[in-house]
Amino acid sequence: MSDNQFYESFEELQQSHPDLDSKELVLNMGPQHPSTHGVLRIILKLDGEKVNGLECVIGYLHRGIEKIAESRTWTQFAPFVDRLDYTAAVANNLGYCLTVEKLLGVEVPKRAQYIRVILTELARLASHQVWLGTHVLDIGAVTPLFYAFRDRETILNVFEKYCGARLTTHSFRIGGCRWDAYEGFSSEVLRICDDLLPKIDEYKNLITGNRIWLQRTKNVGCISAEDCLSFGITGPVLRGSGVAWDLRKAQPYSSYEDFEFDVPIGSAGDTFDRYVVRVEEMRQSIRIIRQAVEGLPEGPIIARVPKVIKPPVGEVYLSTEAPKGELGYFMVSDGTPQPYRLRVRPPSFINLQALEKMSKGGLVADVVAIIGTLDIVLGEVDR
Amino acid sequence: MNSILGYLHSNVTPGEAGNLFWVAVYVLLVFAGVSFGVMFMNWFERKVMAHMQVRVGPMRVGPHGLLQPIADALKLIIKEDLMPANADKIVFWFAPVCVVMTAFCSFIVVPFGRTHAITDMNIGVLFMLGVSSLGVLGVIMAGWASNSHYPLMGSLRSGAQMVSYEVAMCMTVVSAVMMTSMATGTGTMSMIGIVQAQLQQHTWFAFSFFPVGFTALGVFAIAMVAETNRAPFDLPEAESELVAGFLTEYSGFRWSLFFLAEYTGMMAVSSIATTLWLGGWLRPFPNWLGGRNWDLAFSLVPGLTFLLLASFCFFFYNRMPRIRAMRANAIGLAAFGAVIAIVGIVLLLPGVRERIQDIYWFTLKVGFFMYLYVWGRTTFPRYRFDQLMSIGWKVLFPISLAVVILTALIGVRQELFALVWR
Amino acid sequence: MKFIELVKKFFMIDLLKGLFVTFSHQNPADLVTEQYPQERPVISDRFRGQPRLLKDAAGRTLCTACGSCALACPEKLIKIGSLRDPETKKKVLTSFDYDLSRCMFCGLCEEACPTHSLRLSSEYELALYTREGMELDLDKLENGIPRKEYER
Repeated sequence: MSDNQFYESFEELQQSHPDLDSKELVLNMGPQHPSTHGVLRIILKLDGEKVNGLECVIGYLHRGIEKIAESRTWTQFAPFVDRLDYTAAVANNLGYCLTVEKLLGVEVPKRAQYIRVILTELARLASHQVWLGTHVLDIGAVTPLFYAFRDRETILNVFEKYCGARLTTHSFRIGGCRWDAYEGFSSEVLRICDDLLPKIDEYKNLITGNRIWLQRTKNVGCISAEDCLSFGITGPVLRGSGVAWDLRKAQPYSSYEDFEFDVPIGSAGDTFDRYVVRVEEMRQSIRIIRQAVEGLPEGPIIARVPKVIKPPVGEVYLSTEAPKGELGYFMVSDGTPQPYRLRVRPPSFINLQALEKMSKGGLVADVVAIIGTLDIVLGEVDR
Repeated sequence: MNSILGYLHSNVTPGEAGNLFWVAVYVLLVFAGVSFGVMFMNWFERKVMAHMQVRVGPMRVGPHGLLQPIADALKLIIKEDLMPANADKIVFWFAPVCVVMTAFCSFIVVPFGRTHAITDMNIGVLFMLGVSSLGVLGVIMAGWASNSHYPLMGSLRSGAQMVSYEVAMCMTVVSAVMMTSMATGTGTMSMIGIVQAQLQQHTWFAFSFFPVGFTALGVFAIAMVAETNRAPFDLPEAESELVAGFLTEYSGFRWSLFFLAEYTGMMAVSSIATTLWLGGWLRPFPNWLGGRNWDLAFSLVPGLTFLLLASFCFFFYNRMPRIRAMRANAIGLAAFGAVIAIVGIVLLLPGVRERIQDIYWFTLKVGFFMYLYVWGRTTFPRYRFDQLMSIGWKVLFPISLAVVILTALIGVRQELFALVWR
Repeated sequence: MKFIELVKKFFMIDLLKGLFVTFSHQNPADLVTEQYPQERPVISDRFRGQPRLLKDAAGRTLCTACGSCALACPEKLIKIGSLRDPETKKKVLTSFDYDLSRCMFCGLCEEACPTHSLRLSSEYELALYTREGMELDLDKLENGIPRKEYER
C-alpha cells in the first residue's frame, strides 16, 4: 500500500485494491499516538472491531546510525550506541564494547566485568520499570507509572554518580570501565535492591491479582513457541511462550557464569505470561546485583588497549541479552580505525514482526496492549 | 412579604409550600452549591490522585493549587470554540446544553435536609433516574453532530454503556424503594420519604437485612461509576484507545460544559446513593444515640471539622518556604485558613449549628462517594468494551434481580411464614 | 476451596487490595516531587554538563593547544587555533571554538585532555534564546556563559 497515492473516491480505492473488502475499515494509528511507544505507524484493517490485518510502517526515527559508524572511529562511535535502546543505554554499551573486545582479542579484567554486570542489571531494572509503567498506563491504570518512574529515579541517580549522565550513559570503554566504583557505590546499590524488592511485591496486589488486569491480559496476544522461533523473536517474549532461552545462561559473557539466578518461563504465551516473566526477571536481576556487589573483586578496571584502536581484518558477531531481547552487533573491520561495516541486530525490530500475528482476530483495544507487551523502543527499531 | 416570611415557619420544602420566592432562592443556592462543588471536585480529584501517585498536584496557582479550578475555567472560557465545517450546527450547539441541563435538573429533588430541597415530588427517585437517562440523549447527539466517524462510534458505545448499566441501577433502586415499606407497609418514592423511612426503621438501608442492602449499594455503586463514564469503565473517553470518544470535536467552553455535566452527574448519582442507602441527611445513630446530649455533641462536628481544616491550612502555611517568590501563596494560604476558621467558629454558634447539621452530613456522605470515584480512577485499569457490556448484563443485572427478589421475599416474610408454617 | 474463591470474587477482595495499595501511598513522607526553581537537584561530581576550560592559580590557561580533544570528538565540533611561541617553541592557545548545539556530552574530549584543563562541569541549565549563543568561544569556556539572573 503506497501512502503517497491520493484517491479521488472510495470506489477508486476499492478498484485499485480489490482485496479490500467493502466492509473493512482501514484505520491509521498514526505516528503520533499516546500509546505507540515512539513514532510507530500502524495501519489496521478492521472488520467492525475485530482486527483482520495489520501493517507497521517504521522509519520515522531513522537516524542512520549504522552509516554514521562508518565515518567514526571505534572509540568515537561508542556514545552513539546509547541512542539505540534509550531506556537501558548501559546494555547497548556493554554489547558494543564486548564485540569490539572480541574483535581485538582483549581480555577484560574481572573487576571491570563485575562492575559491568552490576550496571547492566541496573539498566535492565530501569528498562523493565519503563515497560511496566507504560504498559499498565496503556491498559488504563494510571498509578503504577508513577511508582515505576519513582523507582527508576534511584537507579538513574546511581548512573549519574557513576558516569555523569542519567540516560545516555556511555559508561564503558573498550577494554573495561573508565571509572571505578565511586565511594558509597556498593552501599547505595544494595540499598536500592533492598528498597525495590517490596515494591515489586506491591505490584502483585495492585496489578497481578486484579481481575480487570487479568481480563485484559489473559489470552490476549497469544503467540506459540514455534512461531516465536520461526520469527526469530527473543527475550521475554520468547520466554513467555515457554522456550527456556536466555543468552546469559546459554552463552555467558562478562562473568555471568559466576552468578546464580533463575530464568523465568511462561507457558501460554499471552500478555499475562510476558508480564509475569518480566516482573520475575526484575527479581532475578536484584539477585544478580546483590551477588555481584558482595563478590566485587579488587584489581584493574581497564585492560591495556592502544590509544588508536585498529582491529585486525575480520568480522565478528556477538550478542548479549538486552532487556528487550537478543541485542547483536556484527562488525567488519578492514584494519583501519573506522569500522568497515557495523550492523546492529535490534531485538525490538525483530520482535515487532510478531505484532501482526498476535493482533489478528483480536479487538482494537487489544492492539494497544500488545504493543505494550512487546516492549519496543523505536530508537532500536529504526536506528 | 407575608408569604416570604411565613414560609420560614413552615415545615416543608418551598416547592411543596408553593412559595415561588423561596423556590427561586433555593434554585440559586443549589445551582451555586453544585457549581462550587464541581470546582472543588476538580481540585480535589487532582490533589488526591496526585497524592496517591506519590506526587503533589497543582501547587503554583494559588496556595496548594486552590485557585487552579478558577484558572482552568477562565482558560476554557477564553479558548476558541471550534465547530467542524460539516457539523450539524443546531445539534452541535444543543448537545452540551442537553447534558448540562439534565444533570442540573436532577438536583431539583435532592434533599439536603428535612426541608432543604427545592421540592419534594412523591416520585422523586423516578424523576431523578428519568432525567439522568435523558443525558444519554445528549451524548449521542454530541457524537452525531461531530460529523466524523470516530466520535460517532465513541458516542454510540458510550450511550450503549450508559443504557445497559441503568438497568442494574434501576433494579437496585426498586429494591431500596421496597425497603421503605418494611416497617409501615406503605412505601414511598419520594426522596425525603425514603430518608424518613430509614429514620423510622432505625437503620440505614445499606445495613438493613445484611447483606441484601449492602449488595444493593455495591451494585448501585458499580453501576453509577459506569453510568458516569468513569474509570474503570471509561473506555469511550480514554486517550490511549483508538476511537476517540464523543468529546473530540468539542473545545473551549462547550467542552467545559461536558466536563461540568460529568461532575454534576457524579454528584447526582452519589446523592441518590446517599439518600437511598446511607440515610441522606441523618447523622450517625439518630435513634440509638438519641437524646439532647448526643444531639449537641453531633451538632458540634461541622464546626470542629472546619476548625480542623483551618489547622491544616496553618500547618501547611508554616511549612511553606519563606522566599519572596512564594509570598503571595503564603499570604493566600493564611487568609484561606483564617476564612475557614471563621466559618468553623460561626458553625459552632448555637443558632447555626442545628440548622447546618443536615446539610453537613449529606455533603459528607456525598463527598465519601466522590472520594471513592477518585480512588477507583487512580487504582483500576480500564475494561475493554465487550467486557464492560458483559459485566453490565451478565453480572450486575442478575445480581440486582436477585436483590429485588430477596427484598420482596423479605418484605412479605410474615405472610410467607404464615403460609409455610400454618 | 471453591466457596472461598467465590466469596473473594463476590466481595471483590482483589480490587480492595489494590485500593489499599494506592491509599497507603498517600503518606506525605512518600512524596517525591521537587519544586524545581526553589529546590535544585543534587548534581554528582562526574556529571557531564557545560564544558569549561580551567585556569591555574595564577590565571593562566592550562590548555596546551595539543588538539587531542578535537581529534577525540565524534562530532568534530572543537576547533583550536594556536600560535607557536618563538622563544619557548611551545604552542600557545589563541582561539578555542566549541559548538555546543551539536555536542552530545559524551565526555570523550574530557577524557582525551592530557592536562585535565577541559572539564564538563555540573552546569545543566543551558537553554538559550538564540542559536548563535550556543557557539562557545574561549571567553565563554573560561568564564562561563553570561547569564541573566532574574528576581521575582
